[in-house]
Amino acid sequence: MRLAALLALAAPAALACEMPGGPAEKLQSATHTILYRAEPGLGVGRHFALAVAVCPPPKDVRVDAWMPDHRHGMNYRPSIAPLGDGRYRADGLLFHMPGRWEFLFEVRGAGGTERFEHSVRVE
Amino acid sequence: MRRAPLLLLLAALVPAAHAFTKAEMRAIAAHGPWPPAFARDPSNRASGNPDAIELGERLFFERRLSADGEQSCSRCHIPERSWTDGLARAQGLALTDRNTQSIANVRLQRWFGWDGANDSLWAQSIRPIIDPRELGMGARQVAALVRGDADLACRYRKVFGEVPANDEAVLVGVAKALAAFQETRVSGRAPFDEFRDALLKGDEAGIASYPEDAKRGLVIFIGKGKCNACHLGPAFTNGEFHDTGIPFFIEKGRVDPGRHSGIQKLRASPYNLLGPYNDAPERAAAIGTRHVRLEHRNFGEFRTPSLRNLAPTAPYMHNGSLATLRDVVNHYSTLSPDRLHADGEAILVALKLGEGEVRDLVAFLESLSDGGGTYARRRFAADCR
Ligand code: HEC
Ligand code: HEC
Ligand SMILES: [Cu+2]
Repeated sequence: MRLAALLALAAPAALACEMPGGPAEKLQSATHTILYRAEPGLGVGRHFALAVAVCPPPKDVRVDAWMPDHRHGMNYRPSIAPLGDGRYRADGLLFHMPGRWEFLFEVRGAGGTERFEHSVRVE
Repeated sequence: MRRAPLLLLLAALVPAAHAFTKAEMRAIAAHGPWPPAFARDPSNRASGNPDAIELGERLFFERRLSADGEQSCSRCHIPERSWTDGLARAQGLALTDRNTQSIANVRLQRWFGWDGANDSLWAQSIRPIIDPRELGMGARQVAALVRGDADLACRYRKVFGEVPANDEAVLVGVAKALAAFQETRVSGRAPFDEFRDALLKGDEAGIASYPEDAKRGLVIFIGKGKCNACHLGPAFTNGEFHDTGIPFFIEKGRVDPGRHSGIQKLRASPYNLLGPYNDAPERAAAIGTRHVRLEHRNFGEFRTPSLRNLAPTAPYMHNGSLATLRDVVNHYSTLSPDRLHADGEAILVALKLGEGEVRDLVAFLESLSDGGGTYARRRFAADCR
């Protein structure tokens, strides 16, 4: 009974964070939810962009990626454009080798800066 | 039932051929199809224009495009050597610091030159014209050549409408025509391409006709060699920059910083895609130039070369320091981590290949060449009118 009530309370908050336009990856902490989607999808050797939504809207977001196993980052520094309402577009990303990459999101909110990591494999 | 003995007999006669796993098939498929479809360069309004291609072809062989009237693009980029010169370091009006790159398949690159100092094929084509060690010209001399030769001027007008009054603009037009010609240089199909397509179709005869040593070499290339981490895709390059432990000393006291100075030159160039000569209206092609990141580790990094048509392009590496493909494979086989720059690529480790494996990998690399003969210089039609 208690659990059900909690879930019911949590549901509206989760629903509030959404990004129309297709499926998205979801990262979550106690304070923030991040949704992101690669456009036009992940691949090796070509530029791609990230559509990002952060809930609740933070002050600022930074995006980067690196290859932990190879100990190097991207050869490009992504730019990030705020679109309002916690929505962002990051441009200029490129994975130049196949293998495991890790996205890094740095979210600056009211309570300080939070880091999110998300691992992906590209072939 | 009656065919069983025959099958057994066949199985005994054919040496155990390598059966490729699903993952290997995927990795092999990723190195094709070949040749790639043509796509225009949006930053060059002359790209794909037949008149520009013809003008560019003439200019590529034109000795008057050099300060002493003796040099030309084609004296270093020799068609019969898959557009290279056989020298360790190129020699024009003076000795240069680097090995001549092939212009075959150059259209597929994102960055040009061993250090990626240019972001378009046309900008890269300006560099040798004005480099005092190569053709040693200036915008003024190039513009004078075009304006003073009725045939060249007529061809230039056909492509660009007019010969501009601004010398630099004329130079850029010349480079765009040179680029239009170079875009048409694509290497032919190699034994590897026939094998790849046969493998995907399940064509047993096609699979069998690819030599077994090349097959074994291929398995090393996409397997324990991890060569395809950088030499990936149909052109066998990721188009980006790495330190593979080739020394960057040019001579005592002088080093080649590679990508580190390449990025600085790119940013300083008036001809980069962020500048006024980019013909693309929305500058989409400049995305790399806008975002490229300069880091300490770029020091001593060079662009991953394509591995197509290696057979006629020896010697190898940015400074031509390795004479044969065998030397290159031995380099990867014995590479010591100390030779890599401090920030060197962490996936490069000495492969410690056996003698047979070295031979196999070389056989595979040789199977990426098209056998030559894909270019015959055209006999040009009558004067331009
Ligand atoms: C003196 C010999 C020499 C001459 C002459 C010369 N080149 Fe080159 N070319 C080179 C060398 C060396 C490189 C590698 C340059 C570098 O990394 O800085 C190169 C690189 C290139 C590249 C880049 C290829 C790639 O894969 O990125 C292109 C394109 C090119 N040259 C076109 C030309 C054109 C067009 C001309 C005539 C206008 C010309 N070259 C004249 C030696 C020469
Ligand atoms: C970390 C990326 C990377 C890996 C992995 C790699 N290469 Fe290379 N390769 C390069 C770069 C970069 C160069 C040019 C280096 C230079 O000139 O300083 C190069 C040069 C070469 C060349 C010379 C081509 C030419 O035209 O000069 C050959 C051949 C070659 N590699 C084959 C291989 C083989 C075979 C393997 C696997 C055993 C391999 N590479 C693994 C990045 C890589
Ligand atoms: Cu890597």
